[in-house]
Amino acid sequence: MSAVVLDKVTKVFNQGRADEVTALAEVDLTVGDGEFVSLIGPSGCGKSTLLRLIADLIEPTTGTVQVAGKDAGRARRDQDYGIAFQQAGLFEWRTVRRNVELPLELRGMGKGERKARAEEMLALVGLAEFAGHYPAQLSGGMQQRVAIARALAVQPPLLLMDEPFGALDEMTRERLQAELLGICAQTGTSTVFVTHSISEAVFLSNRVVVMSARPGRITAAIEVDLAARDEAARQSERYFEHVTAVRQALRGVPATT
Amino acid sequence: MKRILPPVLVGIAAIVAWQLTVTLGRIAPFILPAPSEIWEQLVEQRQNVWEAALASGANALIGLIAGSIVAVLAAMIASRFRPLAEISIPFAAVVSALPIIALAPILNNMFETTSSIPRRLVAAIIVFFPVFLNTLRGLREVNPIHQELMHTYAAGGWTFATKVRLPGALPYVFTGLRQASSLAVIAAVVAEYFGGLQNGLGSRITSAAAFTAYPRAWAFVVGACLLGLVFYLTTLLLERLAMPWRSRLIA
Repeated sequence: MSAVVLDKVTKVFNQGRADEVTALAEVDLTVGDGEFVSLIGPSGCGKSTLLRLIADLIEPTTGTVQVAGKDAGRARRDQDYGIAFQQAGLFEWRTVRRNVELPLELRGMGKGERKARAEEMLALVGLAEFAGHYPAQLSGGMQQRVAIARALAVQPPLLLMDEPFGALDEMTRERLQAELLGICAQTGTSTVFVTHSISEAVFLSNRVVVMSARPGRITAAIEVDLAARDEAARQSERYFEHVTAVRQALRGVPATT
Repeated sequence: MKRILPPVLVGIAAIVAWQLTVTLGRIAPFILPAPSEIWEQLVEQRQNVWEAALASGANALIGLIAGSIVAVLAAMIASRFRPLAEISIPFAAVVSALPIIALAPILNNMFETTSSIPRRLVAAIIVFFPVFLNTLRGLREVNPIHQELMHTYAAGGWTFATKVRLPGALPYVFTGLRQASSLAVIAAVVAEYFGGLQNGLGSRITSAAAFTAYPRAWAFVVGACLLGLVFYLTTLLLERLAMPWRSRLIA
């Protein structure tokens, strides 16, 4: 079964008005189980819109969105996915641990069980000793790690991420990329990852989906097969070949790989 | 210490200047009594000041609590229904501009002369507006990411209100409460000027002034000042206790 299936999805904002915008036109996309797919493209290409459609934060104008074999709305209500945005969006009145517990709390999980789960997730992102802190006491990178721990807390089969490392410095970003890959490998989570960094997309993904704007559509999909995904891989020839391929696809030159 | 010292020094300097102006300028005590005379009266009348402050303080406190509870509930209802909030904000602004203290004589006539209810009502009505307006603003300002997150958690309206809206509005509620705490004391004291029970600070001030015992009247004014300060500082303390995430910024 596929984690996500989009079938001829079109999204039009402000339909029938003077400021009508076709954000996405006839998009087909399938994300396999355990696959890591990045969406990359210029601003306004509809990559965030695509993610929000999968999350059922907005509804498609035409076409269907299926998550875990269900209608996207059903999947959202069943909490079949975890989500993280560019801003951590932590609740500043809750401690780090209680932030991670929130989605579990809303699922009706018992107190002891969700505390244990939250601590396990915080250990996973390397913040075990900060469980009792408030978000404002943490750095931006640490807050983003808490947001990822929160997204992972319900142990969702699917992880949706909208430029989660966009606001971070290069070094923190690279460390979190490595951590994210480790977590995904460990948990077998499928991931849809929106980014505008070519190197980030290539390093993280099994497949990089290239989009273009006006109207937003998918122009290329580049399979990435790196032998390993570690610091050495960032320097390897295969890695740079893929970066070049993605860059050419973004410029509209036909892909060679 | 660095934050406390300057205002204390300025305060002392002001009192010394006042004392010197009155004694050297030979200002008549019925115009402005010297701080030393007021202090004498305050010490002499301390039992009366204390009892009057307790009576006025009880009225202010009951008015503050009742007014705040009603205001927060009203704000919650208004925030749930957008049109209601649109209507209630200008309405509340107009009503709060009315001199509500002027209601005191009318309310006094509505109840028995020995009743404390009119003064408490005036305090509650005055407290209502700052708490209502601030809370409503806080409830309506929700971080869009929080809204989306709660949507992805499939959270219902009530869950959203209690887990996100209310805690998010807390800083605004306390801004309202801080304004309201001083207003409650002023309302409770001034309402006594218009009759009713004669056991509070306000009625002591008017009767002392009527007997031309100005230093005594001032002693009760000082009592009212201290009462207002106690209310304000208690609210500040509650604010810190209720929002530990604000005071624990630096680890």
